[in-house]
Amino acid sequence: MTLLLRMLVRDWRGGELGVLLGALVLAVTMVSGISGFAAALKSALRQESHSFLAADLVVRDARPLPASWLAEAAERGLESAQTLNFTSMLYAGDEGMVLASVKAVSEAYPLRGALRLSDAPYGELREHRGAPAQGSVWLEPRLFALLDIAIGDTVGIGEAEFRVAAAIRGEPDRAGGFLGVGPRVMLNAGDIPATQVVQPGSRVSYRQLYAGDPEAAEEFRLWLEAVVEPGQRLQSVETSQPAVGRALARAERFLLLAGSLAVILASVAVGLAARRYAERHQNYVALLKSLGADSSRVKSLYAATLAISWLLSLLLGWVLAWGLQLLALQSFAEQLTVMPSLLQPRPYFIGAVTALVCVSVFAWPSLGRLTAISPLRVLRSDMPLHDTREPRDYLLGLLAMVLLMWWYSADLKLTLVVLGGLLTVTVLGGLVALFLLRGGRVLGMQAGSVWRLALASLQRHGLGNALQLVVFSVAIMLLLLLALLRTSLLEGWQQQLPEGAPNHFLLNLAPDELGAVSTLLDDQRVRREKLYPMLRGRLMAVDGEALPIEAQDDDAATQREVNFTWSAQIPDGNELLAGQWWVPGETAAVSVEVEFAERYGMSLGDQLQVRIGAAEFGVTVTSLRSLDWESFKPNFFMVFPPGLLDSYPVTYMTSFYLPPEQKPLLNDLLRAHPTATVLEVDAIMAQLRSTLSQVSSAIELVLGLVLLAGVLVLIAGVQATADSRLRESALLRALGAGQSHILGAVAIEFLTLGLMAGLLAISAAETAFWALQRFVFELPYTPTPGLWLPTLMAAALLIGGLGLWNCRRVVSVAPAEVLRDA
Amino acid sequence: MITAENLGKRVPMADGELAILKGINLEIKSGESVAIIGASGSGKSTLLGLLAGLDTASDGRVRIDGTDLQGLSEDGRAALRGRDVGFVFQSFQLLPALTALENVMLPLELKGDARASERAAGYLERVGLADRRDHYPRQLSGGEQQRVAIARAFAGSPRILFADEPTGNLDRATGERITDLLFGLNREEGTTLVLVTHDLQLAKRCQRQLQMDSGELHEIEPS
Repeated sequence: MTLLLRMLVRDWRGGELGVLLGALVLAVTMVSGISGFAAALKSALRQESHSFLAADLVVRDARPLPASWLAEAAERGLESAQTLNFTSMLYAGDEGMVLASVKAVSEAYPLRGALRLSDAPYGELREHRGAPAQGSVWLEPRLFALLDIAIGDTVGIGEAEFRVAAAIRGEPDRAGGFLGVGPRVMLNAGDIPATQVVQPGSRVSYRQLYAGDPEAAEEFRLWLEAVVEPGQRLQSVETSQPAVGRALARAERFLLLAGSLAVILASVAVGLAARRYAERHQNYVALLKSLGADSSRVKSLYAATLAISWLLSLLLGWVLAWGLQLLALQSFAEQLTVMPSLLQPRPYFIGAVTALVCVSVFAWPSLGRLTAISPLRVLRSDMPLHDTREPRDYLLGLLAMVLLMWWYSADLKLTLVVLGGLLTVTVLGGLVALFLLRGGRVLGMQAGSVWRLALASLQRHGLGNALQLVVFSVAIMLLLLLALLRTSLLEGWQQQLPEGAPNHFLLNLAPDELGAVSTLLDDQRVRREKLYPMLRGRLMAVDGEALPIEAQDDDAATQREVNFTWSAQIPDGNELLAGQWWVPGETAAVSVEVEFAERYGMSLGDQLQVRIGAAEFGVTVTSLRSLDWESFKPNFFMVFPPGLLDSYPVTYMTSFYLPPEQKPLLNDLLRAHPTATVLEVDAIMAQLRSTLSQVSSAIELVLGLVLLAGVLVLIAGVQATADSRLRESALLRALGAGQSHILGAVAIEFLTLGLMAGLLAISAAETAFWALQRFVFELPYTPTPGLWLPTLMAAALLIGGLGLWNCRRVVSVAPAEVLRDA
Repeated sequence: MITAENLGKRVPMADGELAILKGINLEIKSGESVAIIGASGSGKSTLLGLLAGLDTASDGRVRIDGTDLQGLSEDGRAALRGRDVGFVFQSFQLLPALTALENVMLPLELKGDARASERAAGYLERVGLADRRDHYPRQLSGGEQQRVAIARAFAGSPRILFADEPTGNLDRATGERITDLLFGLNREEGTTLVLVTHDLQLAKRCQRQLQMDSGELHEIEPS
């Protein structure tokens, strides 16, 4: 044991263990840190999604829900709230009267997310949690115009009177179903009895909301599932994933990918470091053996060295990973209602297992085989170096890498795509190395002496150079791939939310208002989308099969109200996937959004039965479209040809962009067109933007770390031939070669390697990028020809620079010192 | 106590096998000092490797105190080396990351000697390097490095010491001081010494001289 400890201390002093330990620490840090951060991001995502429900779990029914459920939830440590939704007349003064959508909420509402209020109809927004005080109401801004009232005035609902306390501009659980309902009035649930509007038989939607510890909530959901009756609907997050959620989900996948790449880079670094360590220990082992150490002693010495290195790397790596998570999460602090724990065991466990696999699969083969070193080396130092790797080791390494990545990302597709890229680089790298280096020698014989020296050196280290080339290519490829994905993700988000994207929807415009509204908006230079006609219809049957009115299963296709529109051209931002857009004069046809069509099992040529008001008629599906639901533009499931719906009452809608300073325009608009509805999504968009910018900085941080890992691998790769280079340079200098001569040769050698590695890396990265975009991220792929030349140059300069920097010692150390040591 | 019978060593070459040692017979008694001389490439280091159990013969056998080295596994030979054999090499073979003291401690530590440090310090003192014990090899001159190597060779209390060109990397004056030290310690410890050299002056200080020539060994009769 003392010998072992002494050996460790000496190795550390000699700097030989440091590189190996560094690579292991890097593996633990990257893997634990990134997976911890990804987990935290996931929990942020869940919270984000929950805020769109205003709870973790919601049950709704047309009849009052049992109070015992609330008690059951309380017993399980869950918070709860209740809401009632119904339609009722809102009175103001003697004549003002509007049909409003009333929502009565209990004190704890909302359990997740926040309400947005302002003290004037379109005044400055503030966030609020909790119900209105009893005796007061909050009104949607357009009601102020409709009823000609102000904050502080009195309004009536049923038998009760209320003071108007604020304008309500947003509520977390009002994401969908906003069309066709009246303007919102929110009051305290305690005031409902006083209004006397809720009577037996009234059309009321009752909701109970629950939130709390994820495990308790999940258990409660299971309990509820068993007790809910037909007609009672259970909603949880999975039923809807908002835009922010999707963005975060992509970010999480990106992080997992980055983490997987970090695993590979760390494995390569550990493998290279172990190889160098073993090479430097060959004489040591030969000497130990000549002094009487047997092979089991040597083996246990190195096994224990690795075990201790592993333990040390865990301690250091865990601390660093903790710091890394803290750093990354700090940028999210505002976004998170609950800061996720940095001491979740799983990320640290993953880091420990990764390092253990690195130690046993990537480091041990090199070190373990030291036991086979012949003690005769002590007499004959010119004995060829022991080849420390066998094909079996490489296969085992590859297998371990795949399993680690798979386990880590829990995504086989992602793993296979990255593996495909890796294999391409490795095989191509090996072939290119052999052919080019051999050809280079023939060329070099005709060239000047610096070139001849460089090319001869490239060829002499044939196998070592092939390995170096593959390592360089793999590292550059992974970094490129990550950078490409990052750019694509961020650009995708920016495209989705460009500056000036529509941030208000205008609905319920009567046909005779269109001219005035257009003029008003255009006069104020408001950028707007086209005006789309819109009418509510009902989908009754698909291909002769009538749809049920209601189904037990939430996912089952039922009759439903849909917004219909008509258009002569395919709407902006829509893409025709199948069939044909109508020719003029075509009637009884419909173009259906593709996901909607899938859900209802529709295909081209199917006959649909639809109802508008009391009229029912049939149409044929003549085309399928895809569209971007995250675009904040008017989007429709079903588009009809012009003319078909002319005889039905119709309203119009559009969306437009309004900067904050132009907000008061909404008052003028609504005063002039009191029946119109304005839906503000600017706050949601601002939130989305800020989340995305935070996710982006987190991604940049992780990318930076993986880059660091990549550069370390490059350095380890360059160092792989440093020893032999030192000896050769000493000899050359002893023979009279100048420093510039030797450095010139080194520069040419590494520039050539860098150029080849760059070429291999960009080819493989481009291919893998395509596959990842297509199969994993489901984003469009755009080739990046502009990246090729910069990559080649950067790779050549980076590798050349690292090579020169690393070899600066070969011309500064006295030749005699090196030759004497040899 | 060391005997070689009909010892041969062949290595495969591109155009067939090359015989480095041919039918060597040798007997070295306990406490004897023997020099093996010969030109470069004559096979003397190969013979040393076989006699010390660092390598295995293609033909014949080597016995140390009656133990047939051919019959031992590599680990068996390692155990024998640890117990009975010490080495001094031309290139010193000190570990650069270890201090002078730690280098000398190495064989003692391998034997599990609890007083390794103390005893190693004693040997360093005997070679005149007590004040350099914490120096690293790169901080020592060639002669000092070889003295550390000699201290290490004797620290394990070997019964046989194999020296491969011990003065080959040193200037004449330093070489002579090293030779004096080596033979002095050898006498004090009563060790059997097998020395490979191409230096006739050094060889003459041994009791017997053997000439290696193209893989064959001849006794040089005292003149």
